[in-house]
Amino acid sequence: MIKITLAGVNHKSAPVDVREKIAYPKEHLSPAVRILSREENVLECLILSTCNRVEILTITSNIHPDPDFFTSFLSRTHPALSSIPIRPHLYYKTDTEAVEHLYEVTASLDSMIVGEPQITGQVKEAFETCRQENTIGPYLNQIFQRAISTAKRVRSETAISHLPVSISYAACQLARKIFQDMSNKSVLLLGGGEMAQLTARHMKKMGVRSLTVMTRDPEKGKLLAAEYEASYAAMELLEETMAESDMVVCSTGAETYLLTVPVMEKAMERRDFRPLFLIDIAVPRNIDPEISRLSNTFLYNIDDLKSVVESNQKEREMETYAAREIVRQEIAQFQKRRAERSAVPLIQALRRHTEKLQQSEFDRFSRTLESLPEDTRKQVMILAQSLVNKMLHPTYQTLRNSSNLEEAWEWISRCYGLSPELLSQDNSSREEGGSADNKSSALDPARPDFPLPGEQSC
Amino acid sequence: MKISPLELLLLEMSSGFYLGAFLLYLSELILSRPTRVPWAPVTAGVGGVLFQSLAIFIRFGFQGHVALLSLREVISFFSWTLVLAFLYLEHQKKVRILGLFIFAIAFLSTLLVIGISFHAPLFATKAPIGFLLSLHTILIDLGLASAALSFIVALLYLLLDFFLRRKIFNRFFSRMPSLETLDQLNTNFNGLGFVFLTTGLIFAMIWSWKKFGSTIPHASQGRLAFMGALFVWVAYAATVLLRWSRRFRGKQAAYLSISGFLIFAATMFALVFFSKGSHFIL
Repeated sequence: MIKITLAGVNHKSAPVDVREKIAYPKEHLSPAVRILSREENVLECLILSTCNRVEILTITSNIHPDPDFFTSFLSRTHPALSSIPIRPHLYYKTDTEAVEHLYEVTASLDSMIVGEPQITGQVKEAFETCRQENTIGPYLNQIFQRAISTAKRVRSETAISHLPVSISYAACQLARKIFQDMSNKSVLLLGGGEMAQLTARHMKKMGVRSLTVMTRDPEKGKLLAAEYEASYAAMELLEETMAESDMVVCSTGAETYLLTVPVMEKAMERRDFRPLFLIDIAVPRNIDPEISRLSNTFLYNIDDLKSVVESNQKEREMETYAAREIVRQEIAQFQKRRAERSAVPLIQALRRHTEKLQQSEFDRFSRTLESLPEDTRKQVMILAQSLVNKMLHPTYQTLRNSSNLEEAWEWISRCYGLSPELLSQDNSSREEGGSADNKSSALDPARPDFPLPGEQSC
Repeated sequence: MKISPLELLLLEMSSGFYLGAFLLYLSELILSRPTRVPWAPVTAGVGGVLFQSLAIFIRFGFQGHVALLSLREVISFFSWTLVLAFLYLEHQKKVRILGLFIFAIAFLSTLLVIGISFHAPLFATKAPIGFLLSLHTILIDLGLASAALSFIVALLYLLLDFFLRRKIFNRFFSRMPSLETLDQLNTNFNGLGFVFLTTGLIFAMIWSWKKFGSTIPHASQGRLAFMGALFVWVAYAATVLLRWSRRFRGKQAAYLSISGFLIFAATMFALVFFSKGSHFIL
């Protein structure tokens, strides 16, 4: 029986000084995965390392690696960690719990900022790295494909990622509520504060027509303009530039209002009273709040944007309930598939047993059968085969749907008089013959020359 | 002449579909998560408009001419035009929030039409009204529908402006299109309404000139209608002209549209009640 085990450290379980020591830099990830894959009993493995988490997922045969296995692995691959006790920060999950955790991580339900889109990409990247190192097999492949599709479902069926939770992005989203088409809009970046730059970067991504940088220090302004492929304008040209701009992002170190009501009235007159979106991220503020009383001007300061972000965060938290319901549905599907796959070796053993019985009965009646015409003999054999299949079909179904396979197998063994060695015979015969990959587990999919019982027509 | 039971049945069915579309749009607004069947409300709307089209054509066939003389006929045609215009808009601009209002109006209108049909099922049919008057009635009704759309869009504009100024970020806010889109739609519907109104009145004047030898009717009821139409036209022309002024953008333009529609609708209702059946049949 294959075992799924996950252990890790994330922003909830460990402080940043521990996380930064445990994180694998990109270039160290492949060697670490290679080391892990060589560990005893590890059939498949994956390491996910981001700034907020390091998670190790293993597929093993018959036994779950214990938490010490993971702490020892982490200590070996991070020599600097030897002085820090990892165990208190480590979470450890097995089988369904591990898969559920992975689904939640991929769907960004376990992220520091719930619904942030980067984590799905990081999971894909980790998967790709491990795939290149040949540590991904059929089990992890299937689990990860389902994790990605669950993340997609969460993204498309809930509003978890629709609402911006960063101040700069919230400003851009508000701009979309005022303007229909950003490709004919101009942005004025007044000052070179970090937040203003971030907002300008987002606006550039939104495809605004032009970006003008205006700073008190021309040298700094010109450098910024070059960085954002923008034009530079001197502070003296403020009124003229305002007349041509549709959005103004203000973040200077000035201690007085740069934009006052009279200045804005003149600017609005010059710009034919077209709507103007003003974002004042500076503290102290650079835009007179009285400006918001003017018609067709929309002024937002840092607190307004924070309130947008907070309201969006609350909405996202509400959406996590719907998202977790999707994860639960996917986990139920996973459990069903897992139970079906776990039943395969038992079904195969039972089938081999009945085939053996069938063959011995054919041998017993070989003389009689040989006396029959060729066509009739074939029909008798088909009849016998069909009868066996039909009689065994409900048993196969019971095994597939059973929540307690061991109990079901015991009951079936008693009914059909199966010897306990039947399963071990099956495993040993596979080990003898199946040398191509001696790591293949007892629950591997059926061999191509041995169709799954019940999938044949009865 | 009695109202055909088939027409009534079709109106009831379209009313049901409009209600369905309204509820679906409402659920989109109330539920936080994106809908799994975004096409469902539009499909319900299309279903409703198909049944109402059949009802209108049956009515026209029954009367033998373009039947937009009674209040129930005007309201039915009005809601039908609104829904058609919305479906076109939904296809072009994806202004889904408008659907909530349009289908509420369409549902209530068809319900009113059904109610009027039950309470006043009889009215004297007259001789076919001819091509010019048919055009007049259709164009004036289209003008009214455009003014109504402009009115709804203007209300949405004012609401969004209010949300943006007061920093209210609720679900209604998140479902709204941009201010610029609403302003543009407002301008388009206003212009369209003015064109329909002007051409509709021109056809009425040509008809009057042909029939009475004068563009201004002599009869008191006819004169009342003429004065009402002139008042609406002047008021509407003023709103359209004012929009060209650069000061009347956004919010001011929305106020103009609202007043334009209210004058239009009030005049129509005044004609219904005071023209004593010469212009409208209640």
